[in-house]
Amino acid sequence: MRRRPMVWAGLLLGVGLLGWYFWPRSVPPPPVAGPPPHPTSPRILFAERSVPIPEDNPQTPAKVALGRKLFYDTRLSKDNTIACASCHKPEFAFSDGGKAVSTGIFGRKGSRNAPTLTNVGFRRHLFWEGRSPRLELQAVGPLTAHDEMGLEPEELAQRLQAIPEYAQAFREVFGEPPSLRAVTYAIAAFERTLVSYNSPFDRYQAGDDQALSPAALRGMELFFSEKGDCFHCHVGPDFTDDEPRNTALYTVYKDIGLARATGRDEDVGKFKTPTLRNVALTAPYMHDGSIRTLREVVQHYNRGGEPNLNADVLIRPLGLTEQEVDDLVAFLEALTDTSFTTNPALLPPGGKGGTP
Amino acid sequence: MKRGWLVFLWCISAYVLAAPVELKVNLRVGSQPLQWGQTYQTPQGQRYRLDLLKFYISEVALVRPDGREVRVDGLALAEFKRDGPTQGVSVMKLDVPAGQYRGLRFNVGVPRELNHLDAGTQQLPLGVNSGMYWAWNPGYIFYRLEGTALLPEGNQKWVIHMGTDTFRIPVRLHDLQTRRVQINIPPAGGAILLNLDVARAFEPGPGGVFLDWRKQSLRQLHGLSPETSLLMSVVYFNMQSAFSLAQ
Ligand code: HEC
Ligand code: HEC
Repeated sequence: MRRRPMVWAGLLLGVGLLGWYFWPRSVPPPPVAGPPPHPTSPRILFAERSVPIPEDNPQTPAKVALGRKLFYDTRLSKDNTIACASCHKPEFAFSDGGKAVSTGIFGRKGSRNAPTLTNVGFRRHLFWEGRSPRLELQAVGPLTAHDEMGLEPEELAQRLQAIPEYAQAFREVFGEPPSLRAVTYAIAAFERTLVSYNSPFDRYQAGDDQALSPAALRGMELFFSEKGDCFHCHVGPDFTDDEPRNTALYTVYKDIGLARATGRDEDVGKFKTPTLRNVALTAPYMHDGSIRTLREVVQHYNRGGEPNLNADVLIRPLGLTEQEVDDLVAFLEALTDTSFTTNPALLPPGGKGGTP
Repeated sequence: MKRGWLVFLWCISAYVLAAPVELKVNLRVGSQPLQWGQTYQTPQGQRYRLDLLKFYISEVALVRPDGREVRVDGLALAEFKRDGPTQGVSVMKLDVPAGQYRGLRFNVGVPRELNHLDAGTQQLPLGVNSGMYWAWNPGYIFYRLEGTALLPEGNQKWVIHMGTDTFRIPVRLHDLQTRRVQINIPPAGGAILLNLDVARAFEPGPGGVFLDWRKQSLRQLHGLSPETSLLMSVVYFNMQSAFSLAQ
């Protein structure tokens, strides 16, 4: 009779296992549809990623349209001369075409290079230090900084409230009058539509053997090899690990990067790895715009940078030949997506030519 | 007998029932009331005007004669803007038991546990509409003083933005040893009046270092770059003694 409990236990276990096996499981929800694939291109792998949308700021067409209008509107600055697009120009992949540092209101100069906003919706960390966690909060920076757009929250709200079409649009989209918060939510929604995945590199990945030149193909091999060693930091679909790194640009950094916020010696000279998408359109380069061409950037890596105690271990003389340097440049140039910079949905609304 | 009970009840209720108290601030430059638009001088002879002052007050506690603290919840944002009032401005409402106190303490800043919540979803006095959110270095500006320097080469705007958890400014205005500090809160409530000497920020630090506005890097005091980090500490140190109880 001592066997009984064992039998029962066995039966129960069996039933349990069957139940577990047949129990209906929740299926993960299908990913939210990203932007439609480019009509003329083959199926592009990275196009299947969708931009993460925060729960408290769902995308709606009206919100994106409002954000787009705000992004291009100079009335969002103290002296009515500067919009986001003044420093993030679409034709330069939303960077500040050719300028090492940007100029804000009253001609005030900043000290850093305006980065591209290509695929910025995928970035987990924003700003060169990488300390800002989301686009909504990042936008507070330029809107209020006294050398960028320079408006206090009250002043911004009053101005927009006095413009009837904005007053109405904010009511429709947010159910509340304009405020700094609502402005940043709308602009962030627009920024999440700044997606680019139609470069020659993407087309090559999708199976188009003709998309990359032989030089770019050789450059790609180098980029992803231990010899070039670019891919440890410039990793993933957007060629960035989103982490702060020291690339030994200087021995003594004038702008100390992450350490400005943390005060830690080991953070001196650390800047967030930038995306390399559309990088051929975003010269000059690095956090201070100090390097003029892509070739010079590659040569900087090839030399192993300047002596610097904080230099990342990956930074070392690479021993690339002149030909290999050119090949890497050819690969970087193959990351350019002109369908992005000319996408009418991302240009100033109302067909207004040019940017502020 | 009955009388005794009444006195007892009265004592209890005075102790338990909170009296409404307003924390009020007079802005001073040295010992004088601050006036917007007036030109002042730093100890080093630099001329300046003040444009804006905003700061957070939190973790307020009143100190009883026996040293025990009566803590007051809440966070307030004090705002002083050009052409607005600068004297006797109510910055926070407290509820404290009536009685005798030997002073108070508070922090200028946002408590750590609130400082790093998602500012996109917070309400005033926090959130981005406060004008105190720090985009590049998440968290809030705790103490924000802005003005204009009148330099030989022309006027230049300067800002002092103290923030991050390291720069939460402790203010201690209590004294248990002597009887110099006496705050009496009657059951009907009252006000506690503080002086804030904003010019305290400009006192020189070790070796005579000071906020030299001729240097562009010092016109934006808000982070720990090599040029600014020493002065961040100097201002932080000075601000701890910038508040006093008004007589
Ligand atoms: C005066 C020029 C200027 C203006 C105006 C400006 N920006 Fe920028 N932007 C910059 C610079 C410079 C940086 C890099 C700053 C830093 O990291 O310290 C930057 C960084 C960014 C980043 C971070 C990107 C990343 O990958 O880290 C985003 C996003 C951004 N800006 C969006 C905006 C928006 C939205 C607006 C309008 C509300 C705007 N910018 C207005 C110059 C400007
Ligand atoms: C240790 C990580 C790391 C490695 C390895 C690395 N990069 Fe970078 N890269 C960065 C960081 C960080 C920056 C920004 C540095 C700065 O501004 O001070 C950067 C900047 C760049 C830029 C300028 C982008 C812009 O928008 O300004 C280019 C181009 C670039 N890298 C290409 C390469 C290539 C090509 C390689 C391989 C030869 C490579 N990187 C290897 C981290 C790295």
